[in-house]
Amino acid sequence: MMIKITAFARILIGLLLSWVPLGAHAEQRCVIDDKAREVCLDKPAQRIAALSPGATELIFAAGAGAQVVAVVSYSDYPPAAQQITSVGSHTRLDLERLIALQPDLVLAWGTGNPSEQIDTLKRLGLPVYYVEPHEFGDIADNIVNMAVLAGTEPEGRAEAQRFRRGIAALQQRYQGAAPVPTFYQVWDSPLMSTNGEHYISKVVSLCGGENVFADADRLIPRLSQEVVLLRNPEVIVAGGMGERNAHWLEAWRAFPELLATQRDNLFFVPPSLIQRPTPRLLDGAAILCEKLDQARARRPF
Amino acid sequence: MLDVRSKARVTRRAIFLPIALLVLLAVLSMVLSVTQGSVALSPSAVWQALQGQGSILNQTVVMELRLPRVLSAFATGGLLALAGALMQILLRNPLADPYVLGISGGASVAALAAILLGLTGLLMSGMAFIGAALSTLLVFGLAGQLSHNSTLRLLLTGVVIAAGWGALITLILALAPPDKLPGMLYWLMGDLAYAHTPWLAWLVLVPVTVLLVPLGRSLNLLARGPMQAAALGVNVKGLERLVFIVASLLTAVAVTTAGSVGFVGLVVPHMLRLVLGNDQRLILPASALAGGCLVTLADTLARTVIAPEQLPVGVITALLGVPTFLYLLQRGRV
Repeated sequence: MMIKITAFARILIGLLLSWVPLGAHAEQRCVIDDKAREVCLDKPAQRIAALSPGATELIFAAGAGAQVVAVVSYSDYPPAAQQITSVGSHTRLDLERLIALQPDLVLAWGTGNPSEQIDTLKRLGLPVYYVEPHEFGDIADNIVNMAVLAGTEPEGRAEAQRFRRGIAALQQRYQGAAPVPTFYQVWDSPLMSTNGEHYISKVVSLCGGENVFADADRLIPRLSQEVVLLRNPEVIVAGGMGERNAHWLEAWRAFPELLATQRDNLFFVPPSLIQRPTPRLLDGAAILCEKLDQARARRPF
Repeated sequence: MLDVRSKARVTRRAIFLPIALLVLLAVLSMVLSVTQGSVALSPSAVWQALQGQGSILNQTVVMELRLPRVLSAFATGGLLALAGALMQILLRNPLADPYVLGISGGASVAALAAILLGLTGLLMSGMAFIGAALSTLLVFGLAGQLSHNSTLRLLLTGVVIAAGWGALITLILALAPPDKLPGMLYWLMGDLAYAHTPWLAWLVLVPVTVLLVPLGRSLNLLARGPMQAAALGVNVKGLERLVFIVASLLTAVAVTTAGSVGFVGLVVPHMLRLVLGNDQRLILPASALAGGCLVTLADTLARTVIAPEQLPVGVITALLGVPTFLYLLQRGRV
């Protein structure tokens, strides 16, 4: 008798299961990624590989951190990401390890990951979603898209909303603020900044700053100290890899003719808050805006 | 009185034994390499996957990722070592390697330009091959007809052209956007992460190695000097041209497969000469085999030693090769 019931239950379950794919198909989830490709999944991704530190932050922001099975080196935020298996650096992936983790969604970094390796993943049939945010809006859109793919829309939409509101609030607050000529130093040797296309420059603009190298041809121009003296920024903001690089800023004290040096407007903003296109950009923007306010307060008139 | 026939038989055995040993070593190194990786697979699981059995995951890892890479590594090493051995004979200069005449420089400039333009895969390999071929033709054309005492001219032309390519490489690196830099640096250090199509390299390596063996006697004479060789009836001009073209082809194919893997072409032939003597009938095929073993083992380390981080194979070939070579040199057979 028992056996018969089990057999009956099996048939029932079988019938139910046979319905599931049809139902899921009707609810196929599709989004457009940052390379304008349509990415569709039949069911929410449960094993996600995030192949850049930024993608890791975004997928956690989308509320799907628990579904991430693979990250790359330097994926240090949120702290829970550090516990996830690493599949190498974003410039060279350990494809064997990645495939062994059997991801059902790969979040790739178009300009960071080697395209040959991503092509191999596509060839093996893995769905690839490219993450490459350039604007504040892209960050929010990516969070929503990832939430759709991972089946965590409520969390994702809430976080995207919080981010959009935060940016809008800063925008409103600083749209009439006095412009501050600002030099954002990405690196010190070689000396590098960003042009107006970069999201770092967009944060500077958001706070009412004026990136003095906004007109540079290249996204990340390499500069001489001379040209910095020539543009004579009122504020110098340093980034860098580590969280401590006061010596970058100290070096500018050798040039008293710089307005930024005269007014002591040499500021540090933690690079991970401003150099990654993730929701934490809001925190970085808040700090930068405050620094630019300080610079305005130091004006003699 | 030495019986000529028995002497020939002795020589044949002296060639056969080391080659048989190296073939065994080659097979062992490839088997070892295929069983090692981030995914722990037992030899039997690998064997099953090779036959198209076992789990899909194992089959993917072995057939799609490991096997093409192992075969590419071996062929690259074989091509480079063989090209190095040929260059050393041609230029009668122990410092000659496959890259000394600017072949890898031309390939590098073309490959970096391809990366800059966003080309990938076959397009990039194709560009690298064209770059190598162009550089070869340039050196060949500028050095003029190879003739008596002209190898010095060839060497100088090649070295200067290589320096010119070097400057262009630095220029491209300085102007490249930061996101393209890692790929470029890996390519310049030699990297097998992209090597998915080993067949071209094997299709060149095997026939060339086999066809060079009958030329061994003439090459032996050429290695002693073009005058002697000519006096003994060798067509020096024709042979030198052939050696140059073949070595260039081998290098171009190697560079196309794996970027510019350094050190193999210089050190493997010398190591073998220290151990086996300088008979080209033995040294040429032995170089192909030993070079293949070195790069196969080096790449196995490159992808496992600090996994999941991946190293460029060129780093390991040098780190393995330098101490081995110095040891052999100290043991003092030269």
